[in-house]
Amino acid sequence: MSQALLPTLLNILFRAFVVLLLPPLIPGIITKIKAWMAGRSGPPVLQLYYDLAKLARKQAVFSRTTTWVFLAGPVGTVAALLVASLLIPLGHTAPLLAFEGDVILFAYLLGLGRFLTVLSALDTGSAFEGMGAAREVSFSALAEPALFFGFAALARATGSLSLTPMLQSHGMWTAGHLSGPLMLILAGWGIVFLAENSRIPVDDPNTHLELTMIHEVMVLDHSGRPLALILYGASLKLVVLGALLVDPLLPVLSKGWLNGLALLGGLALLAVVVGLVESTTARFRMNKVPQFLVAGVLASAFAFLLLLV
Amino acid sequence: MAAAFLPLVPPLNEGRFSTLLGALGSLLAFLAAAHALLGGVPSHLDFHFWQGPARLELDALSAAFLLPLHLVAGLGIVYGAEYWPITLSKGFGRSLRFFFGFLVTAMTLLFVTRNGLLFLVAWEIMAVSAFFLVNTEHHRPEVRRASWVYLVCTHTGTLAITASVILLAHRLGGFAWSPLPPGALGSLDVWILVLAVLGFAFKAGLLPLHFWLPAAHASAPSHVSAILSAVMLKTGIYGLLRVSSLLPGVPAWMGGGLLTLGALSAVYGVWNALAQRDYKRLLAYSSIENLGIITMGVGLGWTGRALGDPWLTTLGFGGAIFHVWNHAIFKSLLFFGSGALLHATGTRDMEGLGGLAARMPRTAMILLPGVLAVTALPPFNGFLSEWFIYRGLFASLRGGDAWSSGLALLALVFTGGLAAVAFARFYGVIFLGTSRSEAGAHAHDPSRLMLVPMGILAALTLGIGFLSLPLLPVLDRVVRVVAPGQGLPLATLVGRDFRLLLLLEGLLLVFGGLALAWLRPGTRAAEAPPTWDCGYAAPTARMQYTGSSFAEGWSVFLPGVTQRVRSIRALFPRAHSFHTRVLDAVGDGLLAPWLERVAARLFRFHRFQTGYLSVYILYVLVTLLGVFLWLLLRARLPL
Repeated sequence: MSQALLPTLLNILFRAFVVLLLPPLIPGIITKIKAWMAGRSGPPVLQLYYDLAKLARKQAVFSRTTTWVFLAGPVGTVAALLVASLLIPLGHTAPLLAFEGDVILFAYLLGLGRFLTVLSALDTGSAFEGMGAAREVSFSALAEPALFFGFAALARATGSLSLTPMLQSHGMWTAGHLSGPLMLILAGWGIVFLAENSRIPVDDPNTHLELTMIHEVMVLDHSGRPLALILYGASLKLVVLGALLVDPLLPVLSKGWLNGLALLGGLALLAVVVGLVESTTARFRMNKVPQFLVAGVLASAFAFLLLLV
Repeated sequence: MAAAFLPLVPPLNEGRFSTLLGALGSLLAFLAAAHALLGGVPSHLDFHFWQGPARLELDALSAAFLLPLHLVAGLGIVYGAEYWPITLSKGFGRSLRFFFGFLVTAMTLLFVTRNGLLFLVAWEIMAVSAFFLVNTEHHRPEVRRASWVYLVCTHTGTLAITASVILLAHRLGGFAWSPLPPGALGSLDVWILVLAVLGFAFKAGLLPLHFWLPAAHASAPSHVSAILSAVMLKTGIYGLLRVSSLLPGVPAWMGGGLLTLGALSAVYGVWNALAQRDYKRLLAYSSIENLGIITMGVGLGWTGRALGDPWLTTLGFGGAIFHVWNHAIFKSLLFFGSGALLHATGTRDMEGLGGLAARMPRTAMILLPGVLAVTALPPFNGFLSEWFIYRGLFASLRGGDAWSSGLALLALVFTGGLAAVAFARFYGVIFLGTSRSEAGAHAHDPSRLMLVPMGILAALTLGIGFLSLPLLPVLDRVVRVVAPGQGLPLATLVGRDFRLLLLLEGLLLVFGGLALAWLRPGTRAAEAPPTWDCGYAAPTARMQYTGSSFAEGWSVFLPGVTQRVRSIRALFPRAHSFHTRVLDAVGDGLLAPWLERVAARLFRFHRFQTGYLSVYILYVLVTLLGVFLWLLLRARLPL
């Protein structure tokens, strides 16, 4: 018993670290890479930690239009992402909870967070926040099929409906007929990752013009601790969806701690890649975004078709 | 047990007495259904009807539909007492109560009868009393039109059902409905099923036979809309399940076909829902979506039955029944809520509303669970039943017809995404922001008599989630009736997954509570400023995003939606208008013009209708003479 307890305990600690402490680092890395590419030195990598600490002490300002729904967005998003983070395997470490059908819960938890964020944006009665909310729900209706077709393809390949076997089936790369679909799935999910995390080329988190924003414009009126929750939630989403992308790519290593380290390395590498993409591409015009998302759907759908026939 | 057959006593003169009696009747029937579902012995009553044996029987399948019927009926009667007082001078309160009672009784009879003729009789009483209920406000022309369209449609469907029942009587050797033993399909079986699908799809509002539904459900008084949407549409599902359970089997292609039909209806329904300006029409289109989802479950179950795959059978039928219950709960909640809105604001056009969460805080609070449930978000009940259907679809990807289930999977995911658009818009435009017109200026929460039924339903949307483990064996009982000898116990199939799912949903609430607790002590600015509108100095309520613009990304692709906006060119443009019109692509776009052309052709016969009695007598004489001559000559002709 005590022999089995220690690895479990370490596993829990590792998860707690990745989910609770690590996330704000990822946007820091992305910003740093972007700054270097632009020839600036940029804010410190730990900037988001400082921001969160500052926001936690600050007064929150609530518009007189808002009601209790205004808080549902930040609270719901963080709660939903925390539960989703329990389901996602972190590299090849053993998961805490896995059951058949958890992929569905995973996808719908992301939907719950998004829906509540949209409601709290509409609660302000601002024209710009309404616009952002409309874009968010409209575009995510295209991102979800891309995610699900990937799940469907993996379900067919692995015979399971749980995230852990789906993402940890490392044998897929060596099985010739599976590596092609897997690459397509990862391409589709990559697009989902960029869209869901409001990254260039779908959305620009650093733009100064509200008219061109999607996600950022929805949280304009939040301040203080609610804003801290939103920022933390956004970075947690990077980690959770990032793990979805990184997990299938990781090699299986002999030691548990090496596997954990591999995940951390993978996430850092993903952040670097996102930083490079953001430095080298421009944001799409708003009417091009759906085409980009449909490309993601088609990639996953094609992977699914390859496994179907 | 006999309580299930207790007819709901139609109204007496005293409003309160009839409310009490009606609610009591529904409560008794509800308890009887619950007893039957919880493992009570199926009870029955044999008698003779039109020289044939007839039977009323309360088995698990009947009880599964009686349960939501009497939940919604009982709460609706209480709600209606306040919503439409019997003394309302122009309100036709008496006829409303009379036909409400009749509708509920007819549906009760429909669910328990095991005789084809009696089924048709109950079906007809149900259809006609629903017509009178929809027609309650018959002084308004659009209500009259909606109710007549409904009446014509329901009778067209009844034709197909009648044919199916007659063929079924031929197959079973009488109108008594006792299931045939499983075995090979007879030659008639396919026709029975095809006709049943045709007729019952009319009632369930499946594509392309849905066009009567939005107008009828929007025009009816809100508690009637609730029972129409939450229960009456599902008589179509019940019919499909019951008729197919009598036959020895189902051909596999019909399972895939029904799955595809349901998938198309779901997408079409929700896509239209997000474009509507009238919030009751929006809810009605969302019913088409949900009936599509239920039909997908039935289709999966049929596929499983045809292929002999107990896993698929159980997940499909179980998911369908579970979604029948869940949809009944959240859709009646939303319709009750729409009644409260209509009561408070007097308008069904959501573009004039906004900011009602501040004026109607209780209604807003009670409706949010309904909105989250209809969008199928965890931890509310809509998610749980969709989880079942997803599992069925994934199972079908492996073992069933992979192509139709792949298509249906895409449809279900897409439906979820569009439902988020439709209902974020519904809740956001009506309750959040600031009021867009005077309509909402004096709105207030309704009285307790309306709020309590809504509160019960709202509690159920969350409660079902956490009490659903004991529901698994109940679903098993229903599946055993629908697919005799084929189901597997759900508790062993998905019991562990379900328990973990519920645990995680509980954790979701815990994490939410923790995050909220962390927000609470955070200091809050003493003064509440206006919303920061990007530096604009004088924001007005008219600047808010409207419902039309919120849904524009998707609604412009609907064939029924037309937008008219003049391009703005000058440097100092004058006032401009924007006009948008939402029609149903199938009903208004395809069928109405076609029917008009048919009607114009038929009008040629109008010249025979002169209005003179003597001419009509002449017609009779000529006809008689013709028949006489034909009879006379027939014997002579070499035929």
